Amino acid sequence: MKKVFTEAAANSKDYQALTEVLTHKTPEAVITEVKKSNLRGRGGAGFPTGVKWSFMPNNEVAPVKYLVCNADEGEPGTFKDRFIINQMPHKLIEGMIISGYAIGAKVGYIYIRGEFRKEAEFLQTAINKAYSDGWLGKNILGKNFTFDLFLYRGAGAYICGEETALLNSLEGKRGEPRLKPPYPAQVGAFSKPSCVNNVETLANIPWIMLHGGEAFAKLGTEKSGGTRLYSMSGHLQHPGIYEFSPTLTLREAIQEAGGVRGGKKLKAVIPGGASAPMLRADEIDVCIDFDSLASVGSMAGSGGIIVMDETTCIVEAALVLLKFYAHESCGQCSQCREGSPWLSRIFQRIENGQGKLADLELIEDLCKNMAMQTICAFSDAVTGPALSSIHKFKEEFIQHIESGACPLKNHQAKRV
Amino acid sequence: MDLSNTDTTKTKTKAPQQITIDGQSLSFTPGETIMQVAERAGISKRIAHFCYHPSLSIAGTCRMCAVEVEKVAKLMTSCSTPATNGMVVYTNSEKVKASRNGVMEFLLANHPLDCPVCDQAGECSLQEYNYEYGPSTSRFGDSEEKRVFENATTLKLSPLITLNMNRCIHCERCVRFCAEITETHELLMVNRGHHKELTLADPSKGLTSDYQGCLADVCPVGALTFNDFRFKKRVWFLKQHPSICDGCSRGCNIEVHSEDDIVYRYTPRFNQEINKHWMCDEGRLSYHRGHDKNRIVAPYFEGHECEWHTLLADFTKSLKSSKSALVVFTTDATSEEVATLTSLLPQLHKGGPINFRYISSTPDENPNENQDENQDQLLRRKDKTPNRQGVASKLSPISEADFQSFNDLVIIFKGSTSKLPRLAFSSSKHLYLWGVFLLEDLENIRASNPNIRGVLPGVHTLEKSGSYTNCDGITQTFTAAIRPPKLCVPVERILSKILTTVTAEGEAK
Ligand SMILES: Cc1cc2nc3c(=O)[nH]c(=O)nc-3n(C[C@H](O)[C@H](O)[C@H](O)COP(=O)(O)O)c2cc1C
Ligand code: SF4
Ligand code: SF4
Ligand code: FES
Repeated sequence: MKKVFTEAAANSKDYQALTEVLTHKTPEAVITEVKKSNLRGRGGAGFPTGVKWSFMPNNEVAPVKYLVCNADEGEPGTFKDRFIINQMPHKLIEGMIISGYAIGAKVGYIYIRGEFRKEAEFLQTAINKAYSDGWLGKNILGKNFTFDLFLYRGAGAYICGEETALLNSLEGKRGEPRLKPPYPAQVGAFSKPSCVNNVETLANIPWIMLHGGEAFAKLGTEKSGGTRLYSMSGHLQHPGIYEFSPTLTLREAIQEAGGVRGGKKLKAVIPGGASAPMLRADEIDVCIDFDSLASVGSMAGSGGIIVMDETTCIVEAALVLLKFYAHESCGQCSQCREGSPWLSRIFQRIENGQGKLADLELIEDLCKNMAMQTICAFSDAVTGPALSSIHKFKEEFIQHIESGACPLKNHQAKRV
Repeated sequence: MDLSNTDTTKTKTKAPQQITIDGQSLSFTPGETIMQVAERAGISKRIAHFCYHPSLSIAGTCRMCAVEVEKVAKLMTSCSTPATNGMVVYTNSEKVKASRNGVMEFLLANHPLDCPVCDQAGECSLQEYNYEYGPSTSRFGDSEEKRVFENATTLKLSPLITLNMNRCIHCERCVRFCAEITETHELLMVNRGHHKELTLADPSKGLTSDYQGCLADVCPVGALTFNDFRFKKRVWFLKQHPSICDGCSRGCNIEVHSEDDIVYRYTPRFNQEINKHWMCDEGRLSYHRGHDKNRIVAPYFEGHECEWHTLLADFTKSLKSSKSALVVFTTDATSEEVATLTSLLPQLHKGGPINFRYISSTPDENPNENQDENQDQLLRRKDKTPNRQGVASKLSPISEADFQSFNDLVIIFKGSTSKLPRLAFSSSKHLYLWGVFLLEDLENIRASNPNIRGVLPGVHTLEKSGSYTNCDGITQTFTAAIRPPKLCVPVERILSKILTTVTAEGEAK
């Protein structure tokens, strides 16, 4: 079985792993196994999951702890958590029960993106079923372990995917990221130690419990275990969800998805969700794991691969993302609140043919002042598309500026 | 934010905890932030900041206070970063300056830059920092329209406070003030990102707390301004003098802002034990009483203005000839006034006993009832005079019997501008009023005591020096912030005048 989700998970019996764990494994053993698996967070940052779990204080110091599942999936170009929820909700629920057992949490929350209305209903039905089948609630399998699971719907803000904004939102407060420290493992949901994990991260746990950490580790690279779900979108012959080993290169991944549609030439790829700096067509012979993509100045992030063919105007592509960011900044930090819309305006005027060469320098400066200076990584993320586009496609920007129009379209300059 | 729950607890060792800021080695208590250490060392001015306020929780959002910490790649916000042992901090490195410049440029991008018509000009953090950091020209672009909030320029949040949202830098100090200090939660932010807008929780009510002036204080820019002061004076014309608010028995520490002996406003002055950074609106507005047009500012004798010497001659005579005199102090007299009068008046009053009493302020309640308590959870006290404790520690309260026994000469001494207590007595032969009185006070007294023989106009808190003992027994001294009207004189000057005359007469005999 070479794939976690698309082969094994779909076939294996739900709650088999949970039964296994509750009868044979201590919580410590679960954590050890997850550490062995080299599972890294699928939410974007790629933090080793076992290590994150071991930060949780023990039951004596902290009798009340929470496990929180991040199902806010808002990163443009990412839709794999929705796939899991729709296709195998019980893998997520089972993964959460095991994870709760491992970290000593008796309560779990799933924070689901507001727009996922149908998914929320579906997931709630699955949770109800798990309750009626005795997988959730008091004394699961007659053991001394209780786990309750609650579904909480967001209200439609991308920033609530950031784990501390998510916690605030879960508590009914404004969805704004918190200052760290203290980290969620110290002060999380409702001021209790909490562990926030992505849907895909948690849905991997049953497989790891059934097949062992080492088997999972072998599916990936040396530093990142397991296969991953990649959301392939854009100008592809067959866009959709693909499960790849991260040892695959970006070029191979694109080929798996049928290549660029309509026989067009590839122009650029965003390899890890909107905030990942874009790569040029000549930079795609790189593996799609966290470290390889980081080594070429981009990131694997949430595994959202956005493919753009030769008809794409890079200025406009970046503009679309910057508009998104301008709209989604929570507005706490000066740089991000004011910088995100400012960048989007500059890109807009360049796209409109009203840019100046000095704008390119201004973009660089603004990005320098926005990166690494704020409460959360959002502001850094904004600089991803802004900087990579002007660095990698400078000629195209200059063309816009010098010709006073978008060279790829004969559309009227429009102002949005 | 609970800072105790951070990494610093790990460094709990017996060895003294040291942090180096700009080469200066400073000790700290675990849990303190870099900003707090700098504040204690008196060098916090080096760290520019907007959202940090020492009496509010840490927001860490403006990012202006970022400093460089050795061995840390990112700049750290000093307001939210706990000091750790051996930490080496630079508050003015090139990297720090670049970051501040960046923040300033972002904050100014959409700012209306309307300093010429902004009342905050001269005491605006944004304006101040812009001299040092920030761009001298805007790169925002002339063709770009700045953010304009609807109805934002002069939104009255209450009769006391105006909001200009276009100037707001989103530091949320005001929001935290309402949440944490008054606990009234009247202000909140709605919307997100650059559309984020300060809003009343209940627009139909507006701001209702008794501490609204503090919102204008905490607002680092001209977004929230205090209507009473708005457009009255450019702040750079104002002279500041430390003083004590005499609006109630709390004795909040204040700064009196005046020009040419006219007071334009009070602002609270930090005092950790008493009022921290705050003061109530009633007290803040009480400076108006000092300039009441109906104040008696000239000596008064038998219903007419007169020369001081005429009044003093009569007063001295009455003192000498009276058999039994009663001097009643209101509790806004300074402790020094009480001490001076109680020691010197007996020397002039040869006829018999002279008795000193005080009368409680609270005009509508039983004046004899020695009652004072908190009016809310913050500062306001029910006793609206500043020195009940000081006066009461030396004198007894007045009683019915006092009026019965001493009715041939009564002097009422009123130290400042508090409301005149109800005087539950009537008709004395000679009644003198000494101190700060309004025309309507005379009317009120006359209703029961038609024979007001004279008024000796005195000076109020802002015009004299002295001390008050507040509700918690803390004695605070102050000096004159402004000069009194020409003919209003402090107690010691009147007494020395009388004494020299009396001595001269004595020698002449
Ligand atoms: C702006 C921003 C948005 C994010 N959105 C998501 C999201 O939608 N889903 C998610 O799982 N993680 C998101 N994250 C990452 C989370 O903060 C967090 O790292 C993650 O949920 C941890 O789970 P993991 O360790 O299993 O990856 C976001 C982070 C940032 C800074
Ligand atoms: S970086 Fe942006 S999104 Fe993140 S906390 Fe600051 S303002 Fe909010
Ligand atoms: S109104 Fe003033 S205090 Fe309130 S958030 Fe804006 S700038 Fe800060
Ligand atoms: S003062 Fe520290 S972030 Fe605002």
